[in-house]
Amino acid sequence: MADLRLVLIQARYALLLSFRDPRAVVFGLAFPVVLLVMFNSIFVSGSSDTVHFAGGTISGEAYFTAGIAAYAIGLSTFTTLVVGLTTQRESGQLKRLRGTPMPPWTFLAAQVLRSVARGLMLVVALFAIGAIAFGVHLSAERLVGLVAYVALGTAVFTTLGMAVTALTPTAEAASAVGPFAVVILSFISGVFIPVDQLPNWLESVGKVFPLYHLADGLQTSLVSGGGTGLVGADVASLALWGLAGLLIAKRHFRWEPQTARA
Amino acid sequence: MERALVLGSRNGAAHVERPAIIVRGLRKSYGATAVLRGIDFEVHSGEVFGFLGPNGAGKTTAIEILEGYRRRTAGEVTVLGIDPGRPTRAWRDRIGLVLQECELDPLLTVAETLALYASFYTSPRSVDATAELVGLGVKRDARVRSLSGGEKRRLDVAVALIGDPELLFMDEPTTGFDPSARRDAWNVIEGLRALGKTLVLTTHYMDEAQHLSDRVAILREGEIVAIGRPAELAPAGTTSTVISFRLPDEVAIDALRGSVSAPLETVGGVVSLRTENAQRVLYELTCWAERERVELIGLQARSPTLEDVFLELTGGNHG
Repeated sequence: MADLRLVLIQARYALLLSFRDPRAVVFGLAFPVVLLVMFNSIFVSGSSDTVHFAGGTISGEAYFTAGIAAYAIGLSTFTTLVVGLTTQRESGQLKRLRGTPMPPWTFLAAQVLRSVARGLMLVVALFAIGAIAFGVHLSAERLVGLVAYVALGTAVFTTLGMAVTALTPTAEAASAVGPFAVVILSFISGVFIPVDQLPNWLESVGKVFPLYHLADGLQTSLVSGGGTGLVGADVASLALWGLAGLLIAKRHFRWEPQTARA
Repeated sequence: MERALVLGSRNGAAHVERPAIIVRGLRKSYGATAVLRGIDFEVHSGEVFGFLGPNGAGKTTAIEILEGYRRRTAGEVTVLGIDPGRPTRAWRDRIGLVLQECELDPLLTVAETLALYASFYTSPRSVDATAELVGLGVKRDARVRSLSGGEKRRLDVAVALIGDPELLFMDEPTTGFDPSARRDAWNVIEGLRALGKTLVLTTHYMDEAQHLSDRVAILREGEIVAIGRPAELAPAGTTSTVISFRLPDEVAIDALRGSVSAPLETVGGVVSLRTENAQRVLYELTCWAERERVELIGLQARSPTLEDVFLELTGGNHG
């Protein structure tokens, strides 16, 4: 019970820090909002424009709103975490934490919690803009599915962030890998380009990665229809990636700087 | 259960008589390279123990084994009654660390940083009192990023203290300080001694070790070459005298060679020589100077300081 308190305290500080870090605010908050407005203004010519995908058919505005939300979750959890954790490791912050009686799992759990909280905030902000400016509508029934996707997606991207941190030696390398992975995947995951406009083989490549399934899940939750909108394939794929990330992080995560020291 | 254990050990007499640290035959190798070649020492409760040695002598390796960061290759080590090779949470609760090259989050304030670390310990000190103790009381709401180097290092010390540890490790606590910041840090460390803490510190600065430590160990190439009280170490380790002076600019040191029976060394214009027979060497030196009508500027003869002992024992590789 006392350890849960430690998780909450650390999550609160981590959240506080992500609002003080200009890089995290610009890339994790401002950037997705600008993208959302631009995509919906440039690419969607009229309300008759719709996108067909596995989950059903929705307006272009709704499609991009959900896609950009997935992209924002990727940036603000995976990318922010990879860059943040490698920097904290390199500067010795993680090593110092490891030397305290704080149980390591509470630090990692706090990172997950921080990311989920940030992910929910982002999605609320983006969907609110979508609703007000672009007539995007979310049905009450599908709210459960949406929240489940956001929570699952952020948790998965957090564990993947830890896994990539574990496998990336320096903060310099991480600041290249972190954004690059999310941006490249966005092109083939139905974020920047609707999947019905992608060649089949490229869509198949996209389907391997979790961003596709998060975007697909969020988009499905905006399709009007009954049920929660949870898609088995998306949930299963996300869960598998999350598990893989967790296993790699558990096995390879290091608290000490990875550069050789005398 | 853990809480009871910690409190019990704090209040109980179990750890008072036993040395805080016992090291026997400690070895550490990386592959074929031996970094520590079997060292033995004890640190008593309430003592300030200084670890000296040139870069690469194994100071940080030794201290990181004691801190529970590194595994040893061989030997027995006990820190507060526990094997640091298997660190426990209750054990970490009783220890404070000032590490080398270890930053704090630049975006948190001093008070936030201390409050965060305080939450990890079972009975932490007060945030404000601890900030006050290291002279950061007026900076409590300043971001870490805005602190000077000396202030950051003092915050490191405050973070190490926040859990109210019995034992503190400080790896080069004043490296990179200007002289006044160093004096401030010394005051803090002397304050800790007054609180009855056991302190293990490594340093490059001999005056620092001499000033702060009850006892010092000098490490060279993974072995302890001297151990004892700083004041005793100097005379006991050697009986020699240090004679030093400067020559006028127009006189080359070569002119002096052959006239005195001790090897000459120059550092930054100051000529110094070590001898077991000060009376004879001083006589030779002053005879030469009078004969050649040369002034020996700032001539002095003194007992070797800890620094001289250090340089002698570590083969002059100081730095």
